[in-house]
Amino acid sequence: MLALMSDERMKMPDNVIPLTVGDDTGVDAMRRAETLLLVKVRDTGDRQAYKELFDAFTPRLRAYARNHGCEAGAAENVVQDVMVTAWTRARLFDPDKASARTWIYTLVRNRLIDQHRAGERRQRAYDGYATTYSESISDVDSSEKDLRNSRLTALLVELPQEQRQAVLMAHIEGKSHREIAEELNVPVGTIKSRTRLALQRLRKVMEDPA
Amino acid sequence: MSAIHHPSTAWLLDYATGNAPPLFETVIRAHVGACADCRHEIAFAENLGGELIASGSANSTGTLSAQDICDRYEQQDDAGTPFSRADEVALNGGIEQFVATYLNRSVDALPWKSLGGGLKICRLAEEHGAHMWMLRGQAGTVLPEHTHGGSELTLVLKGSYFCGSDIFHAGDIEDADEDTEHQPVITRDGECICLAVTEGNLRFKKLLPRLAQPFIGI
Repeated sequence: MLALMSDERMKMPDNVIPLTVGDDTGVDAMRRAETLLLVKVRDTGDRQAYKELFDAFTPRLRAYARNHGCEAGAAENVVQDVMVTAWTRARLFDPDKASARTWIYTLVRNRLIDQHRAGERRQRAYDGYATTYSESISDVDSSEKDLRNSRLTALLVELPQEQRQAVLMAHIEGKSHREIAEELNVPVGTIKSRTRLALQRLRKVMEDPA
Repeated sequence: MSAIHHPSTAWLLDYATGNAPPLFETVIRAHVGACADCRHEIAFAENLGGELIASGSANSTGTLSAQDICDRYEQQDDAGTPFSRADEVALNGGIEQFVATYLNRSVDALPWKSLGGGLKICRLAEEHGAHMWMLRGQAGTVLPEHTHGGSELTLVLKGSYFCGSDIFHAGDIEDADEDTEHQPVITRDGECICLAVTEGNLRFKKLLPRLAQPFIGI
């Protein structure tokens, strides 16, 4: 069980892009709690805070790396590198610029870029993602499960299928817009249009839910 | 400098997710370093990535242990490169300095090849079927009308040019692909220098440039 739903609240700076404005009892609270934990790791080397972050993110990073085509061993290496960096370089974390989950995303994204450039072959696993995504969080209780999935899932589901597909293929499969166009056999301009509309819509809802 | 023309959202998402081919990434990075709007878009895409990870599967187990990491590794005090792609480039010296640093020499020191009609070209790199070029033209130069065999990003480093009713100034990116047909014309304000990355060959509409194309290699 994560200890992320504590009553501790961290005031987030105004320039952090709020992804779910007004949901202070759900995903927002969880995001704040994660960020507070990382600030503790940064400021005091708090091992318990690190362990909570580790327990929260390690399985998700492993799934993310696998969805980017890493074999089990390679995924484990990616996760280890990311979590070692999260510990050793925590002092680079700036909550004025990003939440903990966004910061950790940048670590794994950068690690996967390095891996790709080193010539390690990426395999594609889009089909696997839908299953993973819908079956996620089975090891936490149902309330946390709802909190974790509700807003983002709802936003993504609200998108037209073609737009959602373009975003997920980019983020989850690690494909460029041209690769997506070729795989779906549609003009590049069509993917550009779908991506623009999807991000525009997500951004509008996330930043201005009213 | 405030850019008016930016890479499409699809290119910025490619950049934020690390999916952009390296030569295109270089051009986008140069623009992003000078464009707060694009950095904001990239930060948003990274936020989305964080949300997707946080919403992902927590089913798996592994051999790693938090305690092992804490025991084996010391926390570091040193400052370092930021991890966000929205923060990684600070163009204090502007785009021209970024390009000079990237090229490891000044623009003037490049081996320019004259194409006539006030236009010079320098081929800089080739990777995965994409080519990086530097183009420089005198005021009023009219480039041949063409379409593209793939994607093309053109970053204006100096001066300006127009295509139809769109004017591209220093810092702007023109985002073109196989659906784009254009004929850049350098404005009469002065010399224009651009950094461009293209996939595949350009497709010229007129015979003369088509005949010259094998010799130019563009």
